[in-house]
Amino acid sequence: MRKIDKIKQYVFPYLLILPSMVGIGLFVVYPIIKVIILSFYSTNMINPAKTKYVGFENYIKMFNKVMFKKAMVNTSIYTLVMIVVVLALSLLLAVWLGQKSSRINYICQMAVFLPHIISIVSVALIFVQMMEPNFGLFNSILVALNLPTSRWLQSSDTALMSVLLVSIWKSVGYYTLIFIAALQSVPRDIYEAAELDNAGKFKTFYKITLPMISPQIFFVVIVLTIGSFKVIETIRLMTNGGPNNATTSLVFYIYREVFNNTDIGKGAAAGVVLMVIVGIMTVLYFSSLSKRVHYR
Amino acid sequence: MAKIEFRNVTKAFDKNVVIKDLNLEIEDGSFTVLVGPSGCGKTTLLRMIAGIGPQTSGQVLIDGVDVSNVPPGKRKVAMVFQNYAIYPTMTVKENIEFGLKNNKVPKEQREKLINETASKVGLTEYLNRKPSQLSGGQRQRVALARAMVKNPSVFLMDEPLSNLDAKLRVQMRVELIELHNKLKTTFVYVTHDQVEAMSMADTIVLMNEGKIQQKASPEVMYKDPDNLFAARFIGSPPMNVCNLDHKGNKFGFRPERVDITDEYVNDTAFIMEGVVVTREMLGHETIYSVRNEEGITVTVKRLDDKWRMDQKVFVSVKDIKDIYFFGKDGQRIRENDNDYAYCINQLRGVKNEEN
Amino acid sequence: MYGVSQNIKNTANIILKILVVAIFAFPFLWVISVSLQTDAEVNTFPATIIPKTPQFNNYVRAWQAGPFLTYFKNSVVIIVAIITIQMLIMIPAAYAFAMYDFKLKNILFSLVLIAFMVPTQVTFVPVYLMMGEWGLLRTLWPQILPFMTNAFGIFLLRQYFMQVPEELIEAARLDNASELKIVYKLMIPMAKPALATIILFSFVSHWNEYFWPLIMTNTTDVRPLTVGIAALKSTEGFVNWNTIMAGNMFLIAPILIVYVFCSRFIIKAFSYSGIK
Repeated sequence: MRKIDKIKQYVFPYLLILPSMVGIGLFVVYPIIKVIILSFYSTNMINPAKTKYVGFENYIKMFNKVMFKKAMVNTSIYTLVMIVVVLALSLLLAVWLGQKSSRINYICQMAVFLPHIISIVSVALIFVQMMEPNFGLFNSILVALNLPTSRWLQSSDTALMSVLLVSIWKSVGYYTLIFIAALQSVPRDIYEAAELDNAGKFKTFYKITLPMISPQIFFVVIVLTIGSFKVIETIRLMTNGGPNNATTSLVFYIYREVFNNTDIGKGAAAGVVLMVIVGIMTVLYFSSLSKRVHYR
Repeated sequence: MAKIEFRNVTKAFDKNVVIKDLNLEIEDGSFTVLVGPSGCGKTTLLRMIAGIGPQTSGQVLIDGVDVSNVPPGKRKVAMVFQNYAIYPTMTVKENIEFGLKNNKVPKEQREKLINETASKVGLTEYLNRKPSQLSGGQRQRVALARAMVKNPSVFLMDEPLSNLDAKLRVQMRVELIELHNKLKTTFVYVTHDQVEAMSMADTIVLMNEGKIQQKASPEVMYKDPDNLFAARFIGSPPMNVCNLDHKGNKFGFRPERVDITDEYVNDTAFIMEGVVVTREMLGHETIYSVRNEEGITVTVKRLDDKWRMDQKVFVSVKDIKDIYFFGKDGQRIRENDNDYAYCINQLRGVKNEEN
Repeated sequence: MYGVSQNIKNTANIILKILVVAIFAFPFLWVISVSLQTDAEVNTFPATIIPKTPQFNNYVRAWQAGPFLTYFKNSVVIIVAIITIQMLIMIPAAYAFAMYDFKLKNILFSLVLIAFMVPTQVTFVPVYLMMGEWGLLRTLWPQILPFMTNAFGIFLLRQYFMQVPEELIEAARLDNASELKIVYKLMIPMAKPALATIILFSFVSHWNEYFWPLIMTNTTDVRPLTVGIAALKSTEGFVNWNTIMAGNMFLIAPILIVYVFCSRFIIKAFSYSGIK
């Protein structure tokens, strides 16, 4: 009797976890392994018998492809701009809107955050319409202000920046909220102590505020990096990678290889590249979490 | 080297006025303790001196100079916060150094000052540690060192010992008194603990509901309270207070001035018969509550512990000087006041009624 | 002097704040404006700001431009199914991770964290192939099954469960409550804020999801609203922006309504998602 109880006790937690592990196994662990395997094969969708092991051929061919190089450059630029601009803007907005809880500040927070919870489909459609060069709102405003108009999404010079504009506009509110919460968690008396220590506003900000919220800054940088490297929806909806590959991103490249060229091998190889980047960011993030104890 | 003056100071948070038209002088070189129940405005006053919670109207003067428009960092004051407010991201050394750096003190002098201060408070070994690696007492010392190193003319302390355990608190109390004796600068200390106030202060400022109830030395505070609030707040257990008449006049006496006897005693200022209802044996002293038939309870503090529960006893106060009278407004009625004679007569009446 | 410059500062501050509100909220007013314009108004330059006579008919046109009833139904079914399945799987898992000690706990929990970090963009190729092999591509399952385990949910719920005081659970055991009763009568009520946050995040992300259904659906009858609306752009060409924006409103309105009524809760939930 007691032995059965003990076995029950031992097996019970595993039973509780089993369904969740089935999900993770089927849709996370297995796909990760499968992507790596696929990247070493030349897969033939129509005649599976012709599928064969090709070693690093997919990688070599992919790295030599203009479109892949272009995708990597675009994604890197996109990531860098996102990190710098979103970080700066959201910090600025957080300091500005979060220092006092007043009605107007709350309305601002509500407005700034709104784009984050609206589907990228809606947002992209609105901006494509507003950025339309011939009758769009943006050019109408520019003309009214006597400024030169732009081709926005339809020129390879401005397309990436136009997409970035939308991405920044959509995401800055979320990070603003995170920073407001972070700023509010800094004890008030520390700022008072700094005031008594004759620290100016600027010095207080970079000597006290920034170090105090550095865990959140780090979190935001990691999330922004991962989020930027996996960008596809905005691009697929607004430019479809064009014009002339000016907005092709890493994931858009994967999508093209798999669904337009049915070249699963190269798509998988690019997927492995994305996985490595995400992996590095994940390791960085969790190793910093263990250090964070110092600040408590 | 600084005298602090408040002139007609008012402080309001939004529409809520917490201090109205307050006037107060804190003498140069004194160890002044602001004491009172929570919400009485004592911390608000302290923050006005520091400049981190400026007054809504009125003036704050340090050494005769109106500092209302002087930023906190330029007032030559230093403050020890209740939760220490140590910068968590800086080392102990950087914490102490921060204010010096901001005041552009040259490097060699900084080093010298830090080392001196650190050895004074016993932090030399911990200079390169982060605050998270320190104990509560050590953090307290960092906060103290950070204040001391600036050589301020006023030391402000906001309940600095409330987060320490009882033993450490007593030890730090002694150290702060010694520090004051050594530095001879003005100390302004805020606490809600009357024991702390009595043991450390040379001047106590007792506050309630934004008003100063009494400003006096600990001795005067204890022996000659100005009003009912001061009489009840200072001393533990608090003063016994009974109704003197039906008009709201009251009289009171301290538990440590009460005698307990088996039998009726003649020639007392006050005497009451009752039963011992509680008895707390504290070691060197014992606290009894004695209740009479009308439900009046008198607290007694005695060195002897021979009285038992449910025992029938007489409690008495011998000397009329140990009895304090208060008017219906709560103000003290002293010997030279007009109503004093009336009070004495009423008290005799009370005594006679008892029998 | 001091007072005057302070006044200018305050006014500038408020004007800037109104500008910020405009920048972030205006596009959503703009959708409404365009959705009510005539075909001619949409295609004039400079752009029409306010339509002369609102064309409510555009909404009927948009609704008839595709099988929108099906899209809408699909979106709702997918969300309800995902949230239900996630709850059934997540609660026991979080409970086990919070309350039991077992050999593989750390390894299994790090798997949850990995699942939390790995984006669908990495896994979609094998999952797509797998769904094809299983013959599920013409059903709604490919849009539901891959989200059965909510790693973030397990993580957050575990935090909440761990905060339930040990004595409370011991008291319940002394009262002879079964394990199941402890979960449903004690733990779940204590974790209500976490569950509300998890449901909110799931709702927002799956209602808005575009990438995954784009890949996993080959036929219109399994597409959700997002894919249907995006498809309007190609069926309506670049001319009938009024119809497209009217369709766009089908997608925006539900979220906007929820936001207006629960903005405090939503803002709080998202604010603290970064502190953990």
